[in-house]
Amino acid sequence: MKKFLRTTTALGLAAVVAAGCGDEAADEQTEGETDDAGDAEETDEGVDDVDDEDDEAEEDGSSYPEQDIDIIVPYSAGGGGDTVARILTDHLGDELDASFNVINQEGAGGEVGIQAMADADPDGYTLGVFGYPDNVVLENTVDTDFEYDSFEYLGAFDDVPHSLFVGPDSDFEDPDELVEYAEENPGEITVGESGALGLLKVLAFNDEADIEMSPINYDGGGELVNDLLGGHIDVASTSITSYDEITAEGGEPLGYAAEERIDMFDDVPTFEEQGYDLDLGVSRVLVAPDGIPEEVEAELSEALDAIGESEELQQAFEDANLPYRYLDNDEVDDVLEDRNENLQPIIEENADDF
Amino acid sequence: MDALEIFLGILSLDVFFIVFAGVLVGIFVGAIPGLNGAIGISLLLPLTFALEPQNGILLLGGIYMGGMYGGSITAILLNVPGDVVAAPAAMEGYPLTKQGRSKEALYYSIFSSMFGGFIGVVILILFTPPLAALALEFGPAEMFFISLSGLVVIGALTGSNIYKSLFAALFGLFIGMIGVSSVTATERFTLNMPQLREGIEVVPVVLGLFCLAEMFLNIGKKANETVQYEDQSIKRITVLRNIFKRKFLVLKSGVIGTCIGLLPGVGTTLAVFMSYGEAKRTSKKPEMFEKGNPEGIMASEAANNATVGSSMVPLLALGVPGSPTTAIIAGALIIHGIILGPDLFNTRPDVAYTFLFGMLLTVAAMAIIGAIGIKYFSYILKVNIMYIVPVVLVFALFGAYSLRNSMFDVLVAILIGVLGVVFKKIDVPLAPIIIGLVLGPLIETNLVRSMDIAEARQQPILQFMLSSPLSIGLLIMLVLMIIVVVRLRQRTG
Repeated sequence: MKKFLRTTTALGLAAVVAAGCGDEAADEQTEGETDDAGDAEETDEGVDDVDDEDDEAEEDGSSYPEQDIDIIVPYSAGGGGDTVARILTDHLGDELDASFNVINQEGAGGEVGIQAMADADPDGYTLGVFGYPDNVVLENTVDTDFEYDSFEYLGAFDDVPHSLFVGPDSDFEDPDELVEYAEENPGEITVGESGALGLLKVLAFNDEADIEMSPINYDGGGELVNDLLGGHIDVASTSITSYDEITAEGGEPLGYAAEERIDMFDDVPTFEEQGYDLDLGVSRVLVAPDGIPEEVEAELSEALDAIGESEELQQAFEDANLPYRYLDNDEVDDVLEDRNENLQPIIEENADDF
Repeated sequence: MDALEIFLGILSLDVFFIVFAGVLVGIFVGAIPGLNGAIGISLLLPLTFALEPQNGILLLGGIYMGGMYGGSITAILLNVPGDVVAAPAAMEGYPLTKQGRSKEALYYSIFSSMFGGFIGVVILILFTPPLAALALEFGPAEMFFISLSGLVVIGALTGSNIYKSLFAALFGLFIGMIGVSSVTATERFTLNMPQLREGIEVVPVVLGLFCLAEMFLNIGKKANETVQYEDQSIKRITVLRNIFKRKFLVLKSGVIGTCIGLLPGVGTTLAVFMSYGEAKRTSKKPEMFEKGNPEGIMASEAANNATVGSSMVPLLALGVPGSPTTAIIAGALIIHGIILGPDLFNTRPDVAYTFLFGMLLTVAAMAIIGAIGIKYFSYILKVNIMYIVPVVLVFALFGAYSLRNSMFDVLVAILIGVLGVVFKKIDVPLAPIIIGLVLGPLIETNLVRSMDIAEARQQPILQFMLSSPLSIGLLIMLVLMIIVVVRLRQRTG
């Protein structure tokens, strides 16, 4: 018995130490957590009053949020989409005086997590962050249960154009030289790509320049950059945000697929100005499952506007090497629907390659 | 900011606190079956946003280092490795525990981890640029040969019956095939289930085979039936002296760990089993392996902690993360506006050097916490197994769930756990299953990638795959390994 006591004490101590570390984490992460709890109680009382007077609730808008909000991210921790979600919840949490939980639900190129967002209760307590157009590519290429309209698009925060890079000892200095070589040697140029958008970019460039380059599939950006820099592939199709790591080792971008130059990369030419009509990139969006209550949507939009137009959020994105572009609840629908029309034909023409 | 200032900055109280806290958390999450360093790092990621960037990255580095060691504690004491990298520790350490030599095994584990971790970090500090250049040389062809040689290691692992090992390896390769082939986009064995499209993750399989199966087998056993001998105490100095006698083994394992740890994807798992196989090859008593040979513990533990340093080489030198854990660390730094890569040493030398030298501190912290903690860790053996089983089961299932918040992974773990019981009963070795599962997809994608590139360049596949001196060297190594493994099997009968 004595031994058992000693053991349990040891284990208990261990647990306390472990829990202590955990608590610390929680404490520092959201210093206002206890305050939040207090506020939540207040709002609970508020809700009771409001039940009788619905109008007042909207005016004072205090009924949402009254519990923690889950944010589903369909990618693993540490990637670009995850970074956006964490920056966003950090600022949105302060603005709404609420706690957010980021839940990474990766799998099947984002399908698993995006599906979970679509299936979630539209009560405003489960939201999601993903990189548009992952959802569109998925719904057009695999048999998904969600579609573009399964989501209420609340806002978009960045605009990361896709780019083509060449390695350190490349003979190609601009897209024309690449195209010229590819015309003479169809299929010989190898283009590493990862993710749905990576492949889409290769196919779209092939179509636009009427050439044939061979896409080589990679599971992740790390291996892709490694093989480009090591000279194992000729070109890498990846986001312009890989600029620093690739150029530091002597690689060069040939251009990026945006309508006009973006501030963060204003010394790199777009494909557009070099005569190739390509506009393709990722834009991280905050979504709710379709059918959330109007007042919740209004509350979220208002909070998003407040942080979205602030310089702090812009700074946080730029520090994280993400080109910031805020689109509010109204703008985001127009922009994304425009993009859909651009994407649809490329995806359909190349459906066999997915 | 000059070097002295940075160095003094490291010797401050908050850095010590952060390092110890990180290592402690790492050891705990590593020791708890189902959790590992990567999960610990994801859990504490938000905390780092509030810290200074160099402290944040050190906290995560500490968890990484501690987590790599922690898995061995439960591996040795309960035959439940917290992670794949601790599997050899279970294979050698648990038999020692059964002989009443658990403390000895634990000391071998912590001191070898310390030496391995030290070798890895020192190499990180001294040789980052040339090693990063070496890592770039590994293209699809080179990765194919090195992954294939990992499969050959299976032959060296298990003595009793080559057909059972072969079956285990093939079973692992089979699990690895499930999912949508990234190359042909064909669905393989997915049974129309969207969850199976991405394939089966390694973590639930490890948990099922190593944790759940062992716990299922323990159900119904009488208290402490497994450990028949009274636990002996041993002096630390005796263990250190024994390790010193095998210093070349530890050094070699540390270097193998460092070199293989550079490679993305395969890194840690391959490094651990390669060093283990190499230890068996050079051992004077290869027949004692899997019956409790400390050499196996020394080699695998030195190797897995050595990979911590080297998996950060591509991250620091090129900005390319080499493992899931380092990818999360990179993400944490990006939020602070710190972009990893060669520029880091110019733009933020404070962060770069604090991190490099701080990693040495994590090795020290791990050794101190481990060496002091062993007395307390081994109390686990005195706990009635009927209390351990439910606790481990809960943690293992929680770990399977937390990987990607998926109930499906929990079901996979349970199913594989039941299979694991069957395998254990009929003596099918478990380690080859994991090796097959980890390496199968790598072998396939790199072969197909090589074929795609060769086709694009209109070269015969063999000409492409043997077009670099490195790949020829790796092929020669592969052939030599096959010869060595065949000889080893003849020697051990």
